[in-house]
Amino acid sequence: MSKLLSVESVSWSVEKQDILNNISFDVTSGDIIGIIGPNGAGKTSLLKCLLNQYKNWQGSIKLKNKALTHYRPHELAQIFALVVQNAPPIFDLKVYDVVRMGLLPYKALFASDNNDDKKNIMLALEKVGLASSQAKFFNTLSGGEQQRVLIAKALVQKAKILVLDEPTNHLDIFYQHQILQLVKALNITVIMTIHDLNLAAHYCNRLLLLDKGNLVSDNSVDQVLKPELLTKVFGLPCHRDNELHSGVPRVYFYPACDTSMNNPSALNSPLLNSSKGEYS
Amino acid sequence: MISAIKGKNSWVFSGLIIFTIFSSILSITYGPATITSTDIFQCVVNECASPMHDMVIWQIRIPRVLVGLVAGMGLACAGAILQNVTRNPLADPYLFGIISGAGLGATIATLVLNDQQSLALPLAAFLGALFSVVIVFGIATLLRNMSHLLLTGVAVSFMLGSISHFILYLGDPFATNRVIFWLMGSLTRVEMFHFYLIGAMVLITLLTIFALHRQIDALLLGDESAASLGVNVDKLRLILLALCAAVTATIVAYCGGIGFVGLMIPHIVRQLVGVTTMPLIIGSALVGGCFLIWVDVAARSALSNVEIPIGIITSAIGSIFFLAIMYRTRKTG
Repeated sequence: MSKLLSVESVSWSVEKQDILNNISFDVTSGDIIGIIGPNGAGKTSLLKCLLNQYKNWQGSIKLKNKALTHYRPHELAQIFALVVQNAPPIFDLKVYDVVRMGLLPYKALFASDNNDDKKNIMLALEKVGLASSQAKFFNTLSGGEQQRVLIAKALVQKAKILVLDEPTNHLDIFYQHQILQLVKALNITVIMTIHDLNLAAHYCNRLLLLDKGNLVSDNSVDQVLKPELLTKVFGLPCHRDNELHSGVPRVYFYPACDTSMNNPSALNSPLLNSSKGEYS
Repeated sequence: MISAIKGKNSWVFSGLIIFTIFSSILSITYGPATITSTDIFQCVVNECASPMHDMVIWQIRIPRVLVGLVAGMGLACAGAILQNVTRNPLADPYLFGIISGAGLGATIATLVLNDQQSLALPLAAFLGALFSVVIVFGIATLLRNMSHLLLTGVAVSFMLGSISHFILYLGDPFATNRVIFWLMGSLTRVEMFHFYLIGAMVLITLLTIFALHRQIDALLLGDESAASLGVNVDKLRLILLALCAAVTATIVAYCGGIGFVGLMIPHIVRQLVGVTTMPLIIGSALVGGCFLIWVDVAARSALSNVEIPIGIITSAIGSIFFLAIMYRTRKTG
């Protein structure tokens, strides 16, 4: 696998406050990288530095052995596709119109869509399972469907690296898995920030753990999701086991006041056992 | 570009183009002087029956219809772009303080400089409008927040308006009347030269928008999303806002204050052809042009002896239109 992206000693500060501090890591083609960490750790800021959306970061980011700053904006847009769910659009954009935006980095001024463009848009919508919704208004879709439309836009953008900022926020459990399964099935390089560590464990092959702007750990899921490390970073007692079926690491946090972190009996609390159907 | 007017929108656009041509021709027949359609046809294709017809048709009515058409196009397009670029459905070119800036320019030219020449007022109004836009842009840049542009515009509007009112209050009543009537908006004094000037500005605006339509569309999903598609958001916004300001200032300089066109027309057009830039702009240009032509017909025909300032009619229709929108939103929402 070839090295796609190389981040070396990247720091970024705002008004003398360090947001990112000396971050270094590499991204190999085909990686699915989850950036995890508590609120304010610098996860989204790191994504924005990778996309060159902040101008005053220090250090070096190389994309295919060429400095990121030497790429023109439309060239960067042909490599990185960002999927981010902001406030819903004010005007009634149709699903087709949103996906069509992905053509922008390839189009000259005045250029209109040709038949290939239209085919690519429909193909992308088919891939995310929304071909029949092309004429619907984006605002009327559920959160999960909106995320899929944004992923279809990224597919039309033909990006090499898919960048997702909290893709599972505000989604129910079914849609959380649906989105991440879709992302994994695309077989492209993915960098995403994600809060849910167990989802990250399921779908990522590598995790970057950030804390207060520092890269605390960059390793496989198994190596990063260590209870001692997570307890230190998140400030809560943590327990880890493996899922019965898949063997994927699974972590639990529980309030420090209830019991000591070394006492697994806390796992018998009604809250954690609700998944067994006691509240159904 | 062509794809924007294909599909089911093609019927809407065909209808609008036919209606625009029909409106432009038919509106020439309206006016205080009784001239039959045959006379007008003869005058246009051959020679006028009388010098009076020649003067009324070629020097009054045709320039008036053409200026109404391009001014309506310009105001509606400026409104549509401003609303999409700021993602604010209530954005209007006048919210930049353009009308109050133009008003201040006109006030100073008329009262302080005591100038009665017809050239000074439009020039001063244009400079006043640009002055106000520069102040609004300057403050927004200073605040490092382009999203506060419209709020800055409102504040600057009130500031320049108060200076104008103060000068008008102290000034000569006759000159004051002149400024106030000018501010109400009218196509009474327009000439073919104004059509060429406003038309050229509208053409530049349309071509720029056609060139940048994908970038403008990308803004609809948010600045961050647009930036990730390779759009230089701040630069694009600055270019488009400057363009809207220039076209509006040119129109205001010759036609006075014609409010609500830029606010109202894009709302109607979005319902007809959608929200993306190409159909929205072409639709807004056609509907805006037709709207102002017919408002001008109403202005010169509604009362037998006197012409109603065009801005009064557009504001009256616009305010009722907005109340209707709010009522509809209440029922459906």
